[in-house]
Amino acid sequence: MSSKEELLKRLSDGVFEMEEDDVAEAAQEYLDAGYPAFDGIMDGLVDGMNRASEMYEQEEYFVTDVLLCSDAMYVGLDILRPYLPETKDDHKVKAVIGVVEGDTHDIGKNLVKIMMETAGFEMIDLGRDVELQKFVDTAKEEHADIVCMSTLMTTTMGGMETVIHLLEEAGIRDQVKVMIGGGPISQKYADKIGADGYSQNAVEAVKLAKSLMKIA
Amino acid sequence: MLTPKERLKLIFEGGHPDRPACICPGGMMNMVTKDLMEEVQVYLPEAHTDARKMADLAKAVYEKGCFENFGVPFCMTVEAEEMGAKVDMGTNIYEPHVVEYVIDSVSEVDRLTPVDVTRGRAKVVTDAIRILKEETKDVPIVGNLTGPVSTASSVMEPVNFYKELRKKNEEAHRYMEFITDQLIAFGRAQIEAGADVIAISDPSGTGEILGPKYFEEFAVTYINRLLGGLQKEKLGTIVHICGQMSPVYKEINEVKSSALSFDSIVPMKEARKHLPDRVLMGNVSTYALEFGDPERVKMLTKSCIKSGSDIIAPACGLGMKSPLVNIQAILACMQEDEK
Repeated sequence: MSSKEELLKRLSDGVFEMEEDDVAEAAQEYLDAGYPAFDGIMDGLVDGMNRASEMYEQEEYFVTDVLLCSDAMYVGLDILRPYLPETKDDHKVKAVIGVVEGDTHDIGKNLVKIMMETAGFEMIDLGRDVELQKFVDTAKEEHADIVCMSTLMTTTMGGMETVIHLLEEAGIRDQVKVMIGGGPISQKYADKIGADGYSQNAVEAVKLAKSLMKIA
Repeated sequence: MLTPKERLKLIFEGGHPDRPACICPGGMMNMVTKDLMEEVQVYLPEAHTDARKMADLAKAVYEKGCFENFGVPFCMTVEAEEMGAKVDMGTNIYEPHVVEYVIDSVSEVDRLTPVDVTRGRAKVVTDAIRILKEETKDVPIVGNLTGPVSTASSVMEPVNFYKELRKKNEEAHRYMEFITDQLIAFGRAQIEAGADVIAISDPSGTGEILGPKYFEEFAVTYINRLLGGLQKEKLGTIVHICGQMSPVYKEINEVKSSALSFDSIVPMKEARKHLPDRVLMGNVSTYALEFGDPERVKMLTKSCIKSGSDIIAPACGLGMKSPLVNIQAILACMQEDEK
């Protein structure tokens, strides 16, 4: 019988080393031993994902690696999540995320989504090539706190400015923070169109979201 | 004085002409803007599917003093579409883009349609090149190809693709071989139609996404296989890679193209330092071209030249709303120095 610490380490290592099967096995053993699902997620799976994002920041891991780590994490989440006590989810910060109309490059967006989910945000993923009005409608319906937009193409970045105008028209601009990112985007561009923040990569995006929402 | 074609040829051969060349290849490196379309009354998205209009718009780029080349097509979806992906042709301001993939996994490669260069938009492109070849003389015609990794991730879900590079490594290679063979066929048809230069843009195959190991194993390997599959009878080849080069300078130097092009995140000085013997192209910020003014563009152009760029070009595709005067400022300031 493995101790709780050993199992947490196996969960964390399994995510970090992209081993889905190891994670699934460890998660099941962890549950069978009667340990709380919440700790398994936070101190096991999320810990492994955080280690992966540190490596990503240090350019030891790359996008392909992070995607595989996140797959392993989600395998574990699917097993542990049903055993979470209810009520936990109420205070999550909600963010709408998508690639703006005209662009289908969503690898960066997916990374940001994974990292923010890992950090505890509730992400509503609109996908790619998202009609601009949809960002606004969804933010309104879901009472979102953050709108995240990305594009990899110069030709479509203008759509981000349009979304900001549409948020104003809908009267909810002051209720949401707007974060943008993607290849051609810069802090300068964010300032120019009146976005609340820009981040260069997925790890930075989490830091930015936390600072915008004033969470430590 | 050298013609634009002679100058580019000299640069590709490692010679030192009177000044750098000034080009924007097309393909991912879009050079069509709203202003330009209005000037010549030829519009996107129609020109994506009509060889005559495509050729006319390509000509306008040179004739209106923007760049010293003709380039087609104006998007990076032709190859994917011919293999079965569903493409939205975009509008006068949005580029065409893939809206439906063909397969979910590299193992399903057999479900892809091989590219038939005698039909569809592949034919539009080669017809446009034929028109350009017939009606022009001293200006290089650039045919564009979407790079192997970018094409590979345009006919299937990119997230699956990236993951399967590791999970189904052998099948991923078989898949990449098929994709590359299709690109070779399209590239050869473009050269046969009269393209002087082939430019390959591989924005999805970056060192940042793949990391050095997979960058070499997949991006470099298949770009080189593609380059090797093209006819020798041509002026030269250009390969454009997006994103930071710092993790992969060693690997990118293995790419056997005549010239290498980077986006604006790579400082030209840094690239020059790491790649002293290569012909480098780039990299005037497309942000400045869209939102700056001619003075700023001139400053950036001069700084590119000083930092060692052999072929001055925008760092990425142009934003459709970039003012014509800004675009013209690149070439204008290079010609000023000639006098």
